[in-house]
Amino acid sequence: MSSIFNVLLLQNTLRTATPVVLAALGCLLTQHVNITNIGIDGMILIGAFFAVLGSYLCGSWVMGLVFAIVMGALLGLLYYVFVIKFGSDEFIIGVALNIFAGGLTVFLLRTIFQVKGSFSGPGIVPLPTIDIPLIEDIPILGTLLSGNTLLVYLSWILVPLIWAFIYKTPTGLHLRAAGEYPDALTASGKSPDKMKCLASVLCGILSCLAGAHLSLGYLTMFSENMSAARGYVAFACVIFGRGNPPKVFFAALLFGFISALGLRMQKYMPSDITSMAPYVVTIVMMVVVVLWERRKKQRGQGA
Amino acid sequence: MQGMGTEVVRFEHVSKQYPGVLANNDVTLSIIKGEVFALVGENGAGKSTLMNLLYGLGQPTMGDIFIGGEKISAQHNPERAMQMGVSMVHQHFKLVPSFTVAQNILLGHEPKRGRVFLGTEKSNEIVRELSKAYGLYVNPTDTVGELSVGLQQRVEILKALRTGADVLILDEPTAVLTPQETDELFAVIRRIVAEKNMTVILITHKLPEVMHVSDRVGVMRRGKLEQVLITADTSEREIASLMVGRDVIFDDLRTDQPAGEERLRIEGLCASSDRNLPALRGVDITVHAGEIVGVCGVEGNGQTELAECIMGMRPQTGGAVLLSGKDISNTDPRAIRSLGMSYIPEDRVSMGVDTKASVQENLLLGKQRTKAFSFFGIHQRRGQIKEYANELTKRYDIRTSGTDELVQSLSGGNMQKVVIAREFSFDAPVLLISQPTRGVDIGAIEFIHEHIIEKRNEGCAILLISADLDELLRLGDRLVTIFEGKITGRFNAGEIDKQEIGFYMTGGKQDTKEGERL
Amino acid sequence: MSNSLSQSIRALFRLKPTQKVNRDYLVSLFTAVALAFAVGAVIMLACGYNPIECYGALFSGSLGKPRALGNTLAKTATLFLTGLAMSVAAKAGVFNVGGEGQLYMGAMAAAVVGAQVKGAPAWVVVVLALLAAMLAGGLYALLPGLLKVKLKVDEVITTIMLNSVAIFFCSYLANGPLKTAERGIATGTDSIMKAAAFTPLIKLSNLNTGIFYAAAMALFVWYLMSRSSIGFEMKLTGDNDRFAKYGGIHTGKLMLWSMVLSGAICGMVGMLEIFGLHRRFITTVSNEFYFDGMLVAMIMRYNPFGVILMSFFFAILNIGSKSMELTAGISSELILIVQSIIIFFMAAEGGIRKMLSERALNKRARAELAGKEVGVK
Repeated sequence: MSSIFNVLLLQNTLRTATPVVLAALGCLLTQHVNITNIGIDGMILIGAFFAVLGSYLCGSWVMGLVFAIVMGALLGLLYYVFVIKFGSDEFIIGVALNIFAGGLTVFLLRTIFQVKGSFSGPGIVPLPTIDIPLIEDIPILGTLLSGNTLLVYLSWILVPLIWAFIYKTPTGLHLRAAGEYPDALTASGKSPDKMKCLASVLCGILSCLAGAHLSLGYLTMFSENMSAARGYVAFACVIFGRGNPPKVFFAALLFGFISALGLRMQKYMPSDITSMAPYVVTIVMMVVVVLWERRKKQRGQGA
Repeated sequence: MQGMGTEVVRFEHVSKQYPGVLANNDVTLSIIKGEVFALVGENGAGKSTLMNLLYGLGQPTMGDIFIGGEKISAQHNPERAMQMGVSMVHQHFKLVPSFTVAQNILLGHEPKRGRVFLGTEKSNEIVRELSKAYGLYVNPTDTVGELSVGLQQRVEILKALRTGADVLILDEPTAVLTPQETDELFAVIRRIVAEKNMTVILITHKLPEVMHVSDRVGVMRRGKLEQVLITADTSEREIASLMVGRDVIFDDLRTDQPAGEERLRIEGLCASSDRNLPALRGVDITVHAGEIVGVCGVEGNGQTELAECIMGMRPQTGGAVLLSGKDISNTDPRAIRSLGMSYIPEDRVSMGVDTKASVQENLLLGKQRTKAFSFFGIHQRRGQIKEYANELTKRYDIRTSGTDELVQSLSGGNMQKVVIAREFSFDAPVLLISQPTRGVDIGAIEFIHEHIIEKRNEGCAILLISADLDELLRLGDRLVTIFEGKITGRFNAGEIDKQEIGFYMTGGKQDTKEGERL
Repeated sequence: MSNSLSQSIRALFRLKPTQKVNRDYLVSLFTAVALAFAVGAVIMLACGYNPIECYGALFSGSLGKPRALGNTLAKTATLFLTGLAMSVAAKAGVFNVGGEGQLYMGAMAAAVVGAQVKGAPAWVVVVLALLAAMLAGGLYALLPGLLKVKLKVDEVITTIMLNSVAIFFCSYLANGPLKTAERGIATGTDSIMKAAAFTPLIKLSNLNTGIFYAAAMALFVWYLMSRSSIGFEMKLTGDNDRFAKYGGIHTGKLMLWSMVLSGAICGMVGMLEIFGLHRRFITTVSNEFYFDGMLVAMIMRYNPFGVILMSFFFAILNIGSKSMELTAGISSELILIVQSIIIFFMAAEGGIRKMLSERALNKRARAELAGKEVGVK
């Protein structure tokens, strides 16, 4: 058992959770402006590809991140224009975006790198790991908290930052007003559309950074469909965490834990079975939320 | 009044074209400083559109608007309007329910703590001062969604006054208020006009209010400003006939007729609201054949829940509903319908019709599996369905381009006629009718009232829930008042006046008998 | 937040297009297709290919030879059936995004029945496999359906998750307990009874007798949806379930059944793939077929005839893209990009049209009023 439950498992949990945390934080912002963005999965995929492309072309992981961020902003803008400006169906655009991402990345993979399936190579510069002085020397905590890549730290810092942004700043207040009752914001002379645009662009950037973590942090390669439905999992985490950043973070950690555990269980059972675990857990999570609320409701009735 | 003050707002040949509708047609109008100006007209007469233009929600297609002598620009918007001293309180409050009073009032203009964060304490202080300055008390830290409608309106007014407005536009402010809250509002209007020398523009279609509070009244009809009158020199009847373009006479429609056997009995009914708070706390009502029992109350006192519970759309938490002697508590709408009840719901668009379906399909609902319209309940008899729909549209005067027209393109009145045609054609012995004439124009109101009376005279037992006291006084044989989910009084029609009912509706008075029951 | 969250989840359910397919809509469609092709051509040029050559290869590779045409028609049937599956559920207001998983489950069930039922006449095996596939697909759709109807769990997420679960589960079976003992087969189940397999209608093409089953299903669904009282009730439930419930329709039951029917159709698609092409379950039985069909259905606003035409068009793109890759050398995924551009534009069609018409109307109104004024003066 100790070969499964050890510090490494926790470390893997944190690393597997990171892309979901980043994407979920983005998804959460759009959720607060009342946009249901299910195109996140495609955004992750495109982010992953362009991070590799930037890193490979410029020989620098910084450029990889820059590529991912620029693509994220563009995708967020695209999503905003179609969904808000043209009033298209969020769902259709989301699905179309996912298909577009699948087509675009594979097409570019084959046109630029002349390979099928996946691209890896010494030319890709991965994200460096950063050791935190002092903390790295603490026995277990050091292994967990130190020696991660920039994006892992970023995902941790962003949780309180985004929480403060949403609940403690005027812009965050306007963002929530734009989602809950846009007319109120309009009547105050502010534009709900601007808030929706902001949320959408931030969501695109965060989702693409999630992708960059996959292809430059977690692994150093790009492969077809490497987002593996993480965008949907992020969406589920947002629902589970009811849009509250810390809660969403823990939902994503739970997902990471199950994934990491599944990976380790492969020694004992077929990989197909362990791979199912995160998806099953997501469904269970969604059911638990509903049952939870129902119980709370009943208790409220009793009082 | 005229000629005494200076002009604060002027409309010059203002027209507003919406796709397919000319909402304002060449309106020229001056508003004078320090007056209460009432703008009246039927639904869709263009009064709200005109005021929205002044407030910067939309630009006029043609013509100019001047505020304090200054012409408004093409980029006019609410923020600029407020800077120029014009504020507006909308009919539907533009408040974010989950935010506090202070957050709502200062939305878009929040004071900051440091350079980044919200200054919550500062906000609360500002609101406290504002509230004191105008004598409108609110608690800045209350959550708006938990306030009563009257208080929410107060928050809206404070929000409008925040920038120190000279002109305050109130769009149908009394639609959701009790008579007492209405009186309070009028006192506030008078006070701000007198003390702060403000101008108030009141959009309404309630004529007694116009007579009561305004200095001048402008009457709009079909986008045009028909006439501007000095209130003291005119009468309700004159304004009403200008509004509709003909004389309207509101008669008492009731005929004397003894009530028959008991058809609907509600005993100690309890239910919860959507927010899981007790909405009905032991309601008892009986309805007999051939009578209309009216339920009076300010909206949000359990009427919605009452109707939904009776029809099986909401779980009961206690008590019983008996339909012709059979217990229908907590059964589903299908069973209740088959036992002989029809229901005209209060919310037409979300429950009364399927806006994306045709008139024909809307009329068919409930009969789709009957022998007349299907073989074996499966194969549709399209010919018969078509014929039936044509017949109903004719009988109920539903104005459509054909029965295939989608319901969403119908006017409110015609939509309601679709609901009434469908529900009345079940020939159910018990009718549950909720807000039958809300958002319906005067012509259609008349038509609907006549059909309801006709049903009563045929011997139907009718439970009529309405927020319109005049409607209830006109149609009801007996009235009950509901307040916070309890019946507070029972009266025979004609034995009580409006003010008295107002007291019962607001819990100010309770029937001694009711008191004993509680 | 919880309020806006539930609102946004509810937003997912108002996907039912409000407009019908009409002439204006077709004009938009052709414009969107032309635009998407133009974008494709620009990409081709940028990558150094000749667009005329590429598009030529695309069409000749999908329509040029009987065999190619056969493949295109077979693909059309798959897209059409999956689109139909989406439509059936969407009509009642449920969004079955889990067709891919239901397809896998159906394919697996069909492969097992086809291989294990021995000694029975071929037609019995076909019928049994068909029933098994529909049952498997239907039951697999029942789970998210029940979760939605009984607990109000958002079915979009659960069905997407169940897709992955089904694919991994079937992969486990095909690599584990049900792996064939035949030599030279890396993954896959035992092959089905030879006599029960569908026969090709055009030599060497994918078009086979399975298309008749597809046609029968299509007819049945069309009747159910547009000529029966049940279809009427489904429509009202999908449009406005409160209204339907108030009118005495058992909306929960109806949603559940439409979900099951949707899953059954997907299961049937899986069976047709196994009996028509692969003759055993393989893990690559579908390549996101359901998502393509789903989009076709949405673009054509669940109009059955529109879905047939659009399925044919998407099938041309799909089949042609492979020969385009072989002949012209350009990656076939370009066509996915073209397809998604069409979808983007079609989804935005209403909004763009509204914008244009409002602008035109305002202009005209202003001109008219100006004219009037001049006349008065």
